[in-house]
Amino acid sequence: MSAKHALLGLLLERPAYPYQLADRMAQRLGPAWKVNSGQLYQAVKALEKDGLIERVQAAPEHEERHVFGITEHGVAEFERFFSAGTQGVRLSRRPLLVKITFAGPQKLQEALEKLDAYEQDCARQLAQTARLRDELPQDGPLVRADHLLLRLNLSADVSQLEGELRWARHAREMLSWLASRDAIWPSERERADPQPQSPAARERAGAQARRELFGRMAGSQPGEDDPPASGRAAASK
Amino acid sequence: MLLSLRGISKRLPGSRGPRPALDDVSLEVQRGQIVGVFGPSGAGKTTLLQIAAGLQAPDRGEVLYDGEPLHGMSSAQRTRLRRREIACIWSQPQRSRLGVLEHVAVPLLVDGRGHRGAQRRAREALLACEVEHCAPAELRELSDGERQLVEIARAIVVEPRLLLADGPASSLSLVEQEAIMALLGTLAHEAKVGVLVAAGDAEALIGAEPILYLNEGRIAGCAPARDATIYRFPDRPRVAAADG
Repeated sequence: MSAKHALLGLLLERPAYPYQLADRMAQRLGPAWKVNSGQLYQAVKALEKDGLIERVQAAPEHEERHVFGITEHGVAEFERFFSAGTQGVRLSRRPLLVKITFAGPQKLQEALEKLDAYEQDCARQLAQTARLRDELPQDGPLVRADHLLLRLNLSADVSQLEGELRWARHAREMLSWLASRDAIWPSERERADPQPQSPAARERAGAQARRELFGRMAGSQPGEDDPPASGRAAASK
Repeated sequence: MLLSLRGISKRLPGSRGPRPALDDVSLEVQRGQIVGVFGPSGAGKTTLLQIAAGLQAPDRGEVLYDGEPLHGMSSAQRTRLRRREIACIWSQPQRSRLGVLEHVAVPLLVDGRGHRGAQRRAREALLACEVEHCAPAELRELSDGERQLVEIARAIVVEPRLLLADGPASSLSLVEQEAIMALLGTLAHEAKVGVLVAAGDAEALIGAEPILYLNEGRIAGCAPARDATIYRFPDRPRVAAADG
């Protein structure tokens, strides 16, 4: 989702400079919400244009910069967003899976390498996110709600990364196994050994196959009520 | 003689007690011969083929396979025969999600053959039936005509000596029926396989010789049919649709 409502949420708490908003986003919601300054200024500009935020009095020591606060309209928009139904779980469409699915036998090894890289990335991000979560200061006698909520957000990321990592390992095992098998591939015909397509060519190939197969069958089963295998059957053996 | 049915009688349970399904039926199939049996549904064609395959035992009479009484063998021996020598095509349509190549390879895999060799031979059988292009598809994606050809490929993949086919071309157009029969004919004449094929109509059995008419469990007529396409029997209506 866009950062629009997250920014409104931050400004609902207190006015802030745009650069403060960028820091606070990641601090409150976790690394998934990191935005660069370009994206941030664009978002702030759009919010201001829509009348959801406005420039408020700057603190004396930062006179040259603008401090933004939320407008009444912005508060109403946040309320609307909050009360609207939350979208259910949405499965992600992974480009990696598209690559794996259509790699075919020839590119399977390459797909495996991509999967390896994905697995390593998952592991790296998981370690980072888990460290962020674990490094959150333990609260003293007073509970810090923002700490607890950030922990919650980081846990969501950790859980997802753990799931991805588990999947990536499983997928690697499955693909390695598949690579070692003589499997049937849906597109095998086009890849390996293109077969004749025209009816006439198919007929010719069929006649050839029948000569070989049927000749072999006739040759392999001499019976008491038949003459010896015919010359053609014998020749095709 | 590859297959002899001698005086086969069989009663099957019916709504009003057992009814005769086959009554003193005798026929023979030699290697390289394609024998046709036609008759209305309920005439006993499927029962006849099941008895010939050793899947049912006759009440009277005997089935000789290669001169050996089929029902004197152990059921394991009969199963072994069906895996290696007697191939069957039954008329119920296959609508599974199985891939065509797997489907054709199944009889070999069931018999414990290696995966790779089974695949190679399945492909060869599909080629011989001119449906190799269907190999990567699923069974349910095939047209009726293609599916029947795939069923024949599955039957011949074990390189059988005897093929029993129950309505292999039913529900197909006349042209497709002829193509199926031509394939079975080639199989009989070139591979020296004995073929016993059943159909609702004699028209679906072009190329078979003889063509036997089965009605109410009895062989009611026989046509040494080489070139005629319409067969007349005194007690059979000409209109094929009346068979239901």
